[in-house]
Amino acid sequence: MKHKDNGGVTFFLNSTKNIFSVFFSLGKRAKKTKAFYLISFIPVVMALVIKFGQILSERSDIGGIYIFTNIIMAFYLQFLILILALFFGTSVCSEELEGKTLTYLTTRPISKSAIILGKYTSYTALAILMTAAGVVCSFLILNVNSLLDFSLYKILLRDLAVLSLGLICYTAFFTFIGTFLKRSIMFGLMFSFGWENVIQYFPGTTQRFAIVHYLKSLLPSTSGGRFSFLLFRLEPSSPGTAIAMLFLITGVFLAFACLLFSLKEYILED
Amino acid sequence: MTAVIETQNLSKWYRNVLGLSDVTLKIESGITGILGPNGAGKSTFLKLITGQIKPNIGNVTVKGEKIRNNYSLFSIIGFCPEQDSFYEEMTGWQFITSLLKLYFFSTFEIETKAQKALEIVELIKDKDRVIRSYSRGMRQRLKFAQAIAHEPEIFILDEPLNGLDPLGRRKIIRLIKTYKSEGKTIIVSSHVLPEIEAMTKKIILIHQGKIFAQGDIHYIRDLIEAHPHIISIKCSNPRELASRFIREDYVLKVHFGPTQDGLLVETNNRDKFFSLLPSLFVESNIQVEEITSPDDNLQAVFDYLIGK
Amino acid sequence: MTIKEKGYTHWDGEFKDGKFPWWPITRYGIKLTFKKKFFKFFFFMTLVPAVVYLVGIYISERLEDFSFMVRESTVFLQINPAYFKSYFTNEGLLFMIVIILVFAGAGLISDDLKYNSLQLYFSRPLKKKDYFIGKAAVIVFFLFIVTLIPGLVFIIMKIVFSGSFKFFASYPWLVLSVIAYSILVTAFFAFYSLFLSSIGKNRRYVAILIFGLYFFTDIIYEILYGIFKSPYFSLLSFKINLQQVGAFIFNQKTQYAVSWVYSLLIIIGICILSALVLKKKIRGVEIVK
Repeated sequence: MKHKDNGGVTFFLNSTKNIFSVFFSLGKRAKKTKAFYLISFIPVVMALVIKFGQILSERSDIGGIYIFTNIIMAFYLQFLILILALFFGTSVCSEELEGKTLTYLTTRPISKSAIILGKYTSYTALAILMTAAGVVCSFLILNVNSLLDFSLYKILLRDLAVLSLGLICYTAFFTFIGTFLKRSIMFGLMFSFGWENVIQYFPGTTQRFAIVHYLKSLLPSTSGGRFSFLLFRLEPSSPGTAIAMLFLITGVFLAFACLLFSLKEYILED
Repeated sequence: MTAVIETQNLSKWYRNVLGLSDVTLKIESGITGILGPNGAGKSTFLKLITGQIKPNIGNVTVKGEKIRNNYSLFSIIGFCPEQDSFYEEMTGWQFITSLLKLYFFSTFEIETKAQKALEIVELIKDKDRVIRSYSRGMRQRLKFAQAIAHEPEIFILDEPLNGLDPLGRRKIIRLIKTYKSEGKTIIVSSHVLPEIEAMTKKIILIHQGKIFAQGDIHYIRDLIEAHPHIISIKCSNPRELASRFIREDYVLKVHFGPTQDGLLVETNNRDKFFSLLPSLFVESNIQVEEITSPDDNLQAVFDYLIGK
Repeated sequence: MTIKEKGYTHWDGEFKDGKFPWWPITRYGIKLTFKKKFFKFFFFMTLVPAVVYLVGIYISERLEDFSFMVRESTVFLQINPAYFKSYFTNEGLLFMIVIILVFAGAGLISDDLKYNSLQLYFSRPLKKKDYFIGKAAVIVFFLFIVTLIPGLVFIIMKIVFSGSFKFFASYPWLVLSVIAYSILVTAFFAFYSLFLSSIGKNRRYVAILIFGLYFFTDIIYEILYGIFKSPYFSLLSFKINLQQVGAFIFNQKTQYAVSWVYSLLIIIGICILSALVLKKKIRGVEIVK
């Protein structure tokens, strides 16, 4: 077999695409993904409970879109995307080391950065699909009475975009953590439910050190109400800055992850 | 002949544990056997020449190019790792085709090559079963299949015969020999001397991270022949048996154990000794409990070589 | 065909069960947990609340010495069952317990499944029950250190600091409450983490489930309670169920207007369900479909 010209950008993108297709289909049917499918559909059950509760109690003081934006989004933003990103992000590198399958990838004619980026994109896509399926179903259930009000779909699209950005950014961060630390889970849990939960309520510049700050900056400020705690003490950045920061964080951590993965020596333990 | 793989002063240590020390060698096309007991440094050597780990000192070149992070070289290398690990939720077919995808073959090529590789290792019937349901031998054959599927020029095989039944071993050995006749380069590691012997005469002996001997297997054999073999026999009448042994000129010494239920025989012709043994037992009407060769292993060969 | 001569004889000896065949599993599990990076630090941190409460007991006996510190807050330093309840059911302690489970519980069974070592366990004189007890005892060990032991130490130190048995005489049932609640919390979390550990071969995945599921039930409760204001949604939260039963055990008023019996039934239900799953999952031979 002849050496192929494999230094170009096209080659790199093709390598990434190939890794993506392998791990997207593997991830889709993996046993461990099933539990996350289940968890991401719990809000759908919750939406059903809420809707039936409203119908049975003949109460309609809280609108479907209000519940969707403030409750379902809270669940996804503060909990689910963190859990999904933590699992899938750390899986990019750690699962190859734990399963000792890294050799099968690193002895192929593809760059190590393509392995990281390919796996990252496949797992992020999976997480976005999982989340989007639950979000769309919950939205439809909660707004079943006003499905013809097309202005609502703008909100759905905006919320989906925020959650997807969140997944893109968090997964990149955890991908880096997974390539850097051997036991990444404890750090990830501390970061997700410690740092991110606390630092966002700090005043001034401090809250800008949390990823969730930029995500919340993309949500409209609610006019008080029962669930306004979500945007409590938020001193939002402008949407442009927030999006730029989220992409910057993603880019930086992915670049670090690729660099580290290329340079670091991973010893598969017996 | 030009060297396909070249190493210079290759050294690797894991913290304070020495993995490989100052290995300089040239590997040419054909089959080269890497022989050494467990923990000798065989896998470390193979990981170094495939660029999976970086040497602390020295360098490795494959076809004149540095291997580390030179992923383009892997289009001509097929590596069969030692560890028994897979993407367990894939089927055998998915495993091979997924890895072939990473070589940028067309879908048709991927399917043809996967089909061929699985046929060679006789897994075609089981290709749609998930890997975690495969037996040890099947897993080993699948691992071999992924190393040959893309038809590489250089095969680096880390203990490829582990876990295979005798028939499977013979088949893989025959296959490796076919690759040799096609002018390819094959590096096979093993800790079993006869396995390597069946494949090649060119061997590299590794022990405690160092190259102990390199060259023709007969040279090693001769070294071993220069030392007597020790055979232990537990039987009903060891003294009677001893009296028969001392008549033979290839028997050098006979010792009796403290329990008087057996004897240790030293011989310089192991094959002749064993061919005579059954008739001796029958003629002398001696009941045998156990025959062992305490020094008939690779460690003993190394012990001789290092003069223990 | 009949076998006329046997080349072997049956073993006619008596098979004797060891007294604690599960102990090596427990010992190894504890040793392995302590070897984990940062565990010692986290475990030390879980003992901090106990130390704080102990200091509280000491101050309660020396109020005159610490009057400059406590001022009006002496009401918080009344050592009574409410004080014990506040230690045992506070969110911080339960959070710390979940962190301990992530360290000590996640790999207990999942690692055995991953490395196919169940068959090695069961090729020894070890029953399924022993295996389960051995694994559960690892969690029992760690959780008793942060529940039962501090609880008993609080009582003993209260008696020691006060120099009389008045406290014991006032609340003679408190020892039983401490024991009962510690057993309840420990049993619940032991079943919970062993169940989750048995459903996956990947420790990382199990660790996320142990942590995530616990908080997930709490978030669901908060959302549904926020809308419907029905206290019955508190039954969805693991944390609140433990707190409700804890309040009853320490003879305090429950926080939510739902009977503690429901919470107890839910806890028992989860334990039974986990036991059934464990019974099915733990077997010497893996059946691959």
